[in-house]
Amino acid sequence: MPDVTPLPAATPIRMGSNAGQPRTRADGLLKVTGRATYAADNHPAGMAQAVLVTAAIARGRVTAMNVEAARAHPGVVEVYTPANRPELALEPDAKPSFFSKLTETLQDDTVRYEGQPIALVVAETLEAATEAARLLAPQYAAETARVGFDLAPYAPESVGFGFPIEMSKGDIAAGLSEAASTTETVVETPPQYHNAMETHAIVAEWKDGKLYLDTPTQAPGMSAAGFAAWLGLDPADVVIRSPFLGGGFGSKAAVVGAFLLAIQAAKLLDRPVKLALARHQMFGHVFHRGATRQTIKLGMDAEGRLTAIDHHTTAVTAAFEEFIEGASGAARTTYAAPAIRASHDGVRNDVGVPGAMRAPGEASGSAALEIAADVAAEAAGLDPLEFRLRNYAETDPMSGLPYSSKALRECYAEGAREFGWAGRPLAPRQMTDDAGMLVGWGVGTATFPCPMFGAEARATLRADGTAVIETALIDMGQGSWTAMAQIAADSLGLDVEQVEIRGGVSDLPDSGVAGGSGYTATLGLAIDNAGGDTIRQLAEIASSDPDSPLHGTGNTRVVARGGRLYAQDDESRSESYADILARAGRETLSGEGKGARGENDANDHSFQSHGAVFAEVKVDPDLGQVRVTRLVGAFAAGRIINPRMVESQLSGGMIWGISFALHEGAEMDPRTGRILNRDFGEYHVSVNSDAPSVKVLTIPEEDAFVNPLGVKGVGEIGVTGTAGAIANAIWHATGKRVTSYPIRLEELLDL
Amino acid sequence: MSAWHRPASLTEAIGLLAEGGVVAAGCTDLFPATRRQALSGPVIDLTRVAEMRGISETRGGWRFGAAVRWSEVLSAALPPAFDGLKAAAREVGSVQIQNAGTLGGNLCNASPAADGVPGLLTLEAEVELAGPAGMRRLPLAAFLAGARRTALAPGEVLVAIHVPSHAAAGRGAFLKLGARRYLVISIAMVAARLVVKGGRIDRAAVAVGACGPVASRLPALEAALAGIAPEDAAAAVSEALVAPALAPIGDVRGDAEYRGVVAVELVRRALRGLAAEGMR
Repeated sequence: MPDVTPLPAATPIRMGSNAGQPRTRADGLLKVTGRATYAADNHPAGMAQAVLVTAAIARGRVTAMNVEAARAHPGVVEVYTPANRPELALEPDAKPSFFSKLTETLQDDTVRYEGQPIALVVAETLEAATEAARLLAPQYAAETARVGFDLAPYAPESVGFGFPIEMSKGDIAAGLSEAASTTETVVETPPQYHNAMETHAIVAEWKDGKLYLDTPTQAPGMSAAGFAAWLGLDPADVVIRSPFLGGGFGSKAAVVGAFLLAIQAAKLLDRPVKLALARHQMFGHVFHRGATRQTIKLGMDAEGRLTAIDHHTTAVTAAFEEFIEGASGAARTTYAAPAIRASHDGVRNDVGVPGAMRAPGEASGSAALEIAADVAAEAAGLDPLEFRLRNYAETDPMSGLPYSSKALRECYAEGAREFGWAGRPLAPRQMTDDAGMLVGWGVGTATFPCPMFGAEARATLRADGTAVIETALIDMGQGSWTAMAQIAADSLGLDVEQVEIRGGVSDLPDSGVAGGSGYTATLGLAIDNAGGDTIRQLAEIASSDPDSPLHGTGNTRVVARGGRLYAQDDESRSESYADILARAGRETLSGEGKGARGENDANDHSFQSHGAVFAEVKVDPDLGQVRVTRLVGAFAAGRIINPRMVESQLSGGMIWGISFALHEGAEMDPRTGRILNRDFGEYHVSVNSDAPSVKVLTIPEEDAFVNPLGVKGVGEIGVTGTAGAIANAIWHATGKRVTSYPIRLEELLDL
Repeated sequence: MSAWHRPASLTEAIGLLAEGGVVAAGCTDLFPATRRQALSGPVIDLTRVAEMRGISETRGGWRFGAAVRWSEVLSAALPPAFDGLKAAAREVGSVQIQNAGTLGGNLCNASPAADGVPGLLTLEAEVELAGPAGMRRLPLAAFLAGARRTALAPGEVLVAIHVPSHAAAGRGAFLKLGARRYLVISIAMVAARLVVKGGRIDRAAVAVGACGPVASRLPALEAALAGIAPEDAAAAVSEALVAPALAPIGDVRGDAEYRGVVAVELVRRALRGLAAEGMR
């Protein structure tokens, strides 16, 4: 069963508790031996194969499709177009949840972006479906596509997921006019597409009145509710199996129309249907990071202290739906100033709906703000690190709340020491290596919030003293199974080998959302509470049992350790879990727990993770070729559950930052609105040899307020800071301030 | 699916081709370029044709079967004149691609950014074609008729690539510029081969790729290099000697002006590298 994946035993490195140990991945063996099943690996008996047909124009209408030819192709089972589209319980434009976006389920013949579903072909084989899809040969009436920033901006409803479009404090005009000097920096970031290795896929099967879905989701409970709403089902009748995801990055949480079509097809055809998007179909229908143009005005006094931060973002969103990349949020969270304004407007392009992509808002915003900070440091004649220290935010820059914890100063110091920042020449173009390459050093501040959503878990002790944790846990490669098992073991006073994790299915307790960098904090807390609840019940049983050595201790004065309960004040009084359960005649004992932020916690503190990223680049003076030769990132993110997984997350985030700075970006054809590089040959991300020495330091940080575990989250912060640090290092190497990502080779030459 | 033929001999292959079909070799371009269920018509897989296999030294020079894979080029014992071709072999896609992709496929696919072409141009390569009308030989430059266009007649196949002995002399070099370090389509690339006699360049062959519809030799530069010391070669390179042979376009990978500039610099570097090699 894909939903029951026992943790294989690994050689433990023990230094006390389970948390804090650099355990290797619990699912590593399954993955490297090909036994971890992903959604598209499921082939129930009688399954038909679906192929999505997507629009080849960015705006207009489908005027004709050769449905007869497609139907006539041998092996074709059915062809769905707007003419025979399956009815939904809700309109496709209904948004059943807060995270939902408008989507397409063949509701009409309109094309609103390239890559939009316009038909679904179902056949006995993938090959037949593919060929029939080709035979449809859609004809279009194309309209002029709207592309780029230079269109009339409009005031969006909100930014990101529900943030106001503008937040400000202080007097911006005064802060700028009274400043000793001001700078203005305009930075553009391109549209980026998540492109997880595993493309979006679904295997839908209706069985015994229930709908079973094998599909990757970052939020099984929310996804099940979303599917149920659109299909008119009881959420309990939708079972999503999603044990492993081949990457999600924010693209695999909301329900998309293509999946609804596959599910409907399975119902109408009364057989399982599988649909997996092709790589080029990842560019459009399944969200992306929208392009931004950011204008950042900074005012400073004579010592380089900021008097005003005015950060305005124009974000590209879809013509028919809104998601605004909240890039100006960086101004609210990074540096101190008496006056701060973070504002946004939108521009509508004929593109698919943007959405959350790893560090949504923060990645783009920090990529721009860090350049602007460097420009200001240059204007003030200050070392970029010194500039950042002078503008250190001792309290939350916007709200003024104290931080629950903030070891950013230590991150700067430790990162700079490790990198060897001291002695960096102030002026650019001062360093070369033996081969004549221009060498430059740059720094960027990393920060990301520590949200908590909501999650539930159940812990069950078994008669033999081992335990099982049940929650709809998903692992999208970040190592959540491993870290959660460590938290579970500690909460139950067991070794991690004695705890089985049962997850990956939506009918288990709701694991919440693996997103927003809040999974370990939220689900970890739910598991910790479930374990704690179980142990409390166990102590109650022992305490009230006259035959137990723990009789009369009460449930608060015991310690759970190594599968035994000990009296807190008398270690000689103890009893094993198995014995306590046996005498009580219990086969199992279950406890439950929830994880969420305390109701008033957010009124008292600001919760942010922090970091400092230092980059060294070498630029070929004659070719403009950039190599990132060294990255050092120092991060303070509260308590670290598994240093190995955390280092992997942070270094992966930093490598993502290399891609952001130098490689990633969809190239839109301005004439047609089509994406020119819809494949891995031309949509570049860093390859191994682009990723240099990447060093991660985690700075110890105790946080008594963020949540009882003290965990802040590391999933996204590595992306922030890095792109800016690289851009700044390129300036330091060459003297050229490139303000458009990705930084292209030709921009570094005097052409 | 249609028939998949694996002829063992050239005669057999030509016979099959006369009936029409799709020519396949490493399939590293063919498969990605086919966006439909099946290749159109019977497939004639040439990778087992005896005449198209292997690298050998002949009386007249060196012969590369058209179905020779890039990894075979890399591991073959070849004179230093082929160092550029070997360097290109290492940069064609990934190792998996190098294990599948063939020299002949690279030429017949006729991409302006084909990594194998500049090196073969500097090696004065000729292509051996066979078809219903018999065999013929063409200089590689004449075979490559334009972007994605070759001189192949219907029913004709590329059998082998010949490098004449006189061109297998000296030392070769190859440089490729891409936006990332590996797995990248060239923005520009340069191959060079120098034959040095008595401390002077006796013969120079230089070619630039991805800066025009087909890669091209630089005759003006080659003439200017003849007779000078190899260590002076890089300094002799000027835009005036390079640019006339190029016709770069601007695209997703780089703009036209940039290509023109970096091509000159890459030529200098290739020559500088060769001069340094020669002095060891």
